[in-house]
Amino acid sequence: MSRALTVFSAVFMRELRLSLRQGGGGPAALAFFLAAAGLAPLGLGPEASVLRPAAPGVVWLAALLAVAAGLERLFQDDLEAGEMDLLAAADAPLELIAAAKAAAFHIATIGPIALAAAPVGLAYRMTDGAALVLAVGVAIGGLGLAFIGAAAAALTAGVRRGGVLIAVIAAPLAAPALVFGAASARLADQGADPAQPLLFLSAYALFAIAAGPIAAAAGLRLHMS
Amino acid sequence: MTRYAVDLLLDEAAAARAGRAVAAPLTVRLAPGDALTLRGPNGSGKSSLLRAIAGVGGFSEGRAAIGGEADARGRARLTHYIGHRPGARGSLTARETLAFHRAVLGGEASIAAALERVGIAAEGDRPAGALSAGQLRRLALARLLVADRPVWLLDEPTAALDAAGAALVARMVAEHRADGGIAVVATHDAFEPEAAATATLLAA
Repeated sequence: MSRALTVFSAVFMRELRLSLRQGGGGPAALAFFLAAAGLAPLGLGPEASVLRPAAPGVVWLAALLAVAAGLERLFQDDLEAGEMDLLAAADAPLELIAAAKAAAFHIATIGPIALAAAPVGLAYRMTDGAALVLAVGVAIGGLGLAFIGAAAAALTAGVRRGGVLIAVIAAPLAAPALVFGAASARLADQGADPAQPLLFLSAYALFAIAAGPIAAAAGLRLHMS
Repeated sequence: MTRYAVDLLLDEAAAARAGRAVAAPLTVRLAPGDALTLRGPNGSGKSSLLRAIAGVGGFSEGRAAIGGEADARGRARLTHYIGHRPGARGSLTARETLAFHRAVLGGEASIAAALERVGIAAEGDRPAGALSAGQLRRLALARLLVADRPVWLLDEPTAALDAAGAALVARMVAEHRADGGIAVVATHDAFEPEAAATATLLAA
């Protein structure tokens, strides 16, 4: 058991390092998110009456696209470098390794986006409380996106420029995050209690954490056999 | 007293690539300290056989067992597999790469000593992306030294290496065998472990 834990933390820490050091990691996804959220008002117009109700949907969509773009290289780089062979021979199941990668992706890529979601919400004229709920929602729902997305990333790891494919495969599976995430921020902004959609969001994240690594490991085995 | 005491058995084993047999079945038994050289033209399934023994790839028929362990995951834990891809990410340093491999493989030996032994001690803090092909190959070889595994599966271990590097591989393999370890080496060139059995693979 402790061996599995050692492998998990080694993979986790290495992912964080890689995300910070090489292009296309966490900082790039954050920049993508900020660019998308910053561009939307140019199309929507500057009026608070339009921006404020649109904010939850725009922020969630921007976050989803940023995450999909960042997921592309979650397994692909290691497959190409031959590192996946080594990880498959590790003293831990492939499911655990996929989970470590998804967890690190959540911290390094979705974490900064969730933090940035609050000031973006404020800029869209949301209330303080609603902006906070938006950020919390992205953090919780993002956990689901990371683990579901990991499965999609594993399936498309053999495809060049698979980011678009990931977005397409993960789109139906990401729908609950968008529905309940945006709903919680909207409710909070209207002064209502956002607890219920946040709980659904949490349930979605728990399901993804349970199912994502199993699907991801199955996808990876396909590429390696 | 030798360190390792497991044998390697291939029983009518034909390696598969993408679900298809790529080589004729092979039956061989290696005792502790034995070595096997795999020869054969490109596409004859040498790499696939190594990957299958390592538990990374699969067999279309037959089986492999290491110390009686026939399960793929069980075999994986008893083998070092060094393929022709570098096994390093460009933005991590040589030291970080080796430390990661040691953690994943469950080893305890010194990183510094391993880098010293394979002759890249001075490159420890350089990113792997800045190493030459030969230095990357040496970094992969260092993996053999940081974790104890009885069976070494080496896919053209001397590719990209200079004469001194090839001599190093020969010494490392000889020492491993003296410890009771087993080496299976796929090769095209003159490199061949001393007194090794040779299997010539024919495409299926």
